[in-house]
Amino acid sequence: MVEQHRDAGGTPDFEQIFLPHLDAAYNLARWLLRNDQDAEDAVQEAYMRAYKAFARFRGGDGKAWFMTILRNVCYTMIKKSRGHETPEPFDEEIHQPMGEPEMQEAFRRKANAESLHVALEKLPDEFREVIVLHDLEGLAYKEIADVVGIPIGTVMSRLARARGRLRAEIVASNDKEFPS
Amino acid sequence: MNHDEAARLMGPYRDGELDLSTCLKLEEHLAQCPACRQKMAGEQELTDLVRAEMPRFEPSPFLKTRIQARLREQRPAPKVTSSWNPMALAWTYSSLAVAALVILAVAVFWQQQIPQLDQEAVANHVRSLQVNHLMDVASTDQHTVKPWFAGKLDYSPPVVDLTSSGYPLIGGRLDVLDHRNVAAIIYQRRKHYINLFIWPSDTESLYGRLYNQNGYHALGWTKSGMNYLAVSELGEKEFRDFVQMIQDQTAVTRPGE
Repeated sequence: MVEQHRDAGGTPDFEQIFLPHLDAAYNLARWLLRNDQDAEDAVQEAYMRAYKAFARFRGGDGKAWFMTILRNVCYTMIKKSRGHETPEPFDEEIHQPMGEPEMQEAFRRKANAESLHVALEKLPDEFREVIVLHDLEGLAYKEIADVVGIPIGTVMSRLARARGRLRAEIVASNDKEFPS
Repeated sequence: MNHDEAARLMGPYRDGELDLSTCLKLEEHLAQCPACRQKMAGEQELTDLVRAEMPRFEPSPFLKTRIQARLREQRPAPKVTSSWNPMALAWTYSSLAVAALVILAVAVFWQQQIPQLDQEAVANHVRSLQVNHLMDVASTDQHTVKPWFAGKLDYSPPVVDLTSSGYPLIGGRLDVLDHRNVAAIIYQRRKHYINLFIWPSDTESLYGRLYNQNGYHALGWTKSGMNYLAVSELGEKEFRDFVQMIQDQTAVTRPGE
């Protein structure tokens, strides 16, 4: 009902362009900030910032433009809340390189929703975000490059490293609990 | 192509990000390299797992409502607040429910005050410009335009000429508004057009409130038994000037007509 009367004080153009990206924005924020409340706050803040900066929007890819703002909001929040914490170091002992056949065998044994989740939690934010943007939100490399602010070549290598690390974490994580 | 290069291109290959010639080179390598084929199959298993089991978090349905409410708060006078202030956010948050209610009340009030009339008039105006059907009678003479409506309408709309004020009359058209035939008098201001819809105010009166929609203005009023509804893409100042002149002129000319 309110939508039909946008001119009761709404922002028709802005809302038409950017509200469709609400779900994608929330999903990325939720994966970066790890809880619902922070993710909602970040998305709201991003919409407010985008609204104030709307005059500078030159058309084109509204999704990338908005996700860039959202991402900045998320990283500001992350810096504030866990700036003093250092991320868990990547344990080279556990992540000994193994041959591809062994890796696949171990992966098949352990691949399930839970191990994936644990492994995703352990990924550094910049790795997790490229996986979210690409595999969940379906952004192309170019779009990810725009959102994250890195060259396409870096998107490519970062995504590869993120996947390699994710795979290694899945293979390794259960080993801790169930040493073979 | 060596193994390292092939390994580097596997991800982009599966993601559909490689150009055709690189695709072919990689496929050529894969065809003759079992180790790389196995590596790619292993990576694909991870992608399959991610696609199948990585959840996409969905926002609460209230988030959108809250955001819309906050956006609407911003509109009248976009405030410059600090970029990220948790206290400010907390404040806004607490006042959000109140704001949402106010928005709702305003929307309901607005809906009652302005039926679809203004929207319809704007739509008519836009259509009149789009379909090359601005005028049924093209004339800068009010004594040509006014009689043209005789026999087409059961009333005679007052037609005034504002050429001397910079808003020349350019013609008239029969239009439909709120399920009835109405007179549309067309004025020009530079490259802009103004549709002035006129019909008897036997069922309802208009109340002189400016309506904005996507850069179009509409303003309706009732005077001497006639409803007037002006619509244009003109700037608000010039649009209001026009309305003022029409109101003044119709007051003068009507008794003599």
